[in-house]
Amino acid sequence: MEADIAKMKEQKSPSAINILLRELFRDKLALVSLIFLILITAFVFGISIFLDKNEIVSVDLFAINTPPSDQFILGTDYGGRDVFGQLIIGTRNSLAIGILVTLISGVFGIAYGVISGYFGGQIDNVLMRVIDFFMVLPFLMIIIVFVSMTRDYSVVTFSLIMAAFSWMGIARLIRSKALQEKELDYAQASKTLGTSNFNIIFKQVLPNITSLIIVTMTLNLAANIGLESGLSFLGFGFPEDTPSLGTLLSYATNPQTLEFRWWIWAPAAILILLLMLAVRNVGEALRRAADARQRRG
Amino acid sequence: MAFLEVKDLQVYFPIKGGILNRTVEYTRAVDGVSFELEQGKTYGLVGESGSGKSTTGRAIIGLEDITSGQVLFEGKDITDKKAKNKNFRKDVQMIFQDPYSSLNPRKRVLDIVAEPLRNYEKLSKQEERKRVQELLDIVNVSPDSIFKYPHEFSGGQRQRIGVARAIALKPKLIIADEPVSALDVSVQAQVLNFLQEIQKELNLTYLFISHDLGVVKHMCDNISIMYKGRYVEQGSTKDIFENPQHIYTKRLIAAIPDIDPRNREKQFEFRKEVTKEYRESFNNYFDSNGLAFGLQSISDTHKVALPEKG
Repeated sequence: MEADIAKMKEQKSPSAINILLRELFRDKLALVSLIFLILITAFVFGISIFLDKNEIVSVDLFAINTPPSDQFILGTDYGGRDVFGQLIIGTRNSLAIGILVTLISGVFGIAYGVISGYFGGQIDNVLMRVIDFFMVLPFLMIIIVFVSMTRDYSVVTFSLIMAAFSWMGIARLIRSKALQEKELDYAQASKTLGTSNFNIIFKQVLPNITSLIIVTMTLNLAANIGLESGLSFLGFGFPEDTPSLGTLLSYATNPQTLEFRWWIWAPAAILILLLMLAVRNVGEALRRAADARQRRG
Repeated sequence: MAFLEVKDLQVYFPIKGGILNRTVEYTRAVDGVSFELEQGKTYGLVGESGSGKSTTGRAIIGLEDITSGQVLFEGKDITDKKAKNKNFRKDVQMIFQDPYSSLNPRKRVLDIVAEPLRNYEKLSKQEERKRVQELLDIVNVSPDSIFKYPHEFSGGQRQRIGVARAIALKPKLIIADEPVSALDVSVQAQVLNFLQEIQKELNLTYLFISHDLGVVKHMCDNISIMYKGRYVEQGSTKDIFENPQHIYTKRLIAAIPDIDPRNREKQFEFRKEVTKEYRESFNNYFDSNGLAFGLQSISDTHKVALPEKG
């Protein structure tokens, strides 16, 4: 008996982290994507500490639109500002916003949806009508209004504004899944075993929809990076003195820049593409890891 | 005082319709069912699909809302959902029909079997693991497999894990909702015999819901036959199988296959006879809506749904 117990202790169950890592190592593309994402993130957040933002965004009339050279690795824009520096700070801003918006809207939307779906009935009815109300609001216009109202907004305030209008989709999706899950025998069994509603929701039902959550959150992350770039492209994101991938891309609205000065917008465009692809690859691997039957590792 | 007493239980499901989604009608899933259970015995609840037998079990444990009627457990009224307190939850457990969906696919066996223990007993990790291994040992699942996931087990093993979870708190009553219907025959016997064994050990009471008369005959001391939400006949296993009074019961028993091929002709004739009798005497046994009448006692243990003598 003693020996048995000792053996049991050694034989630990694989933790969730281990399973995730094993899955990532099995899928080389996802591994490369993850490394790329980590490097990019570490690089932009690390380097931007040492970069002087004010110096980068200050106008230098003697170096307008210079092509890539030793002095400016990626050349300068029409204000003589270093594109490489802007790219780093811009990527940092875009990533930060994308992650923040996804997290805020995701956490709120998931909690909202799972509660609505699990309890059902009148609670579900009221919560869903609130969602309907938010859905019919012309959110792009409202974001633009908010952005023009708040004078000096930061990454955080901008994220909050965007998150306030992007939690409904995930909430609805999670709700429909929760409606299905709560009817399954294992949720009913938990009820007869005396488990509280709170524990059934967050410990029994939620783990069963993680794959859905991860996939949606990943897609949302890509979409939110895109939305931020779009808003900045339109001129309602950050002003020019706070660069983001979108502001760099918006220089391409000038046909001259688009045709002859590729160094201003092409790196930003490629980076957006690569970021989204990498995020998606990692998301796919995570989705497989969340479902024991689909694992490769 | 009866152990579990059900008085005139009704469970209706609303049918919504019309412009404002009003309730236009009800499906009478369980329509006035009364019975009593004694401790330590097995009660069978038999009926065709849709007869309300599962709903009866689910209503008692609180998974369906009770429309009207009363459920008394050890003399305490537990009809209302709020009255189903922790003690009741601990004393009454359920075995589910489908072993593939009744275990959370994302949980390891340890977490599944320990769930009721975590709700009611404060155990240290070591104690908890030991208890789970003991329970798995009782149900003949290898105690080494506590870190496996449900999908790594066969149907019979899963159902036994479900049983281990149900007996973890040493309940007094187990509602077994078709516990072997999803299993193949060789495994059925295994699970059934095992259920009988632990019944003796733990003095359990079973409410055994099934559509398989052979299984019910093997398991139960008392049998009730349900049809369209009502009882048609209620009695000891002997009463039901040797002296069926209601035509519906007779037909059900006639439908049990006989393994002896020499009796085939005889069985066939007998079945034809019963079917004929069923057609001819339908109106004597069912009211104008095709529902069973109220139960009349014909002996101490035997009750049959017959029209009032007039």
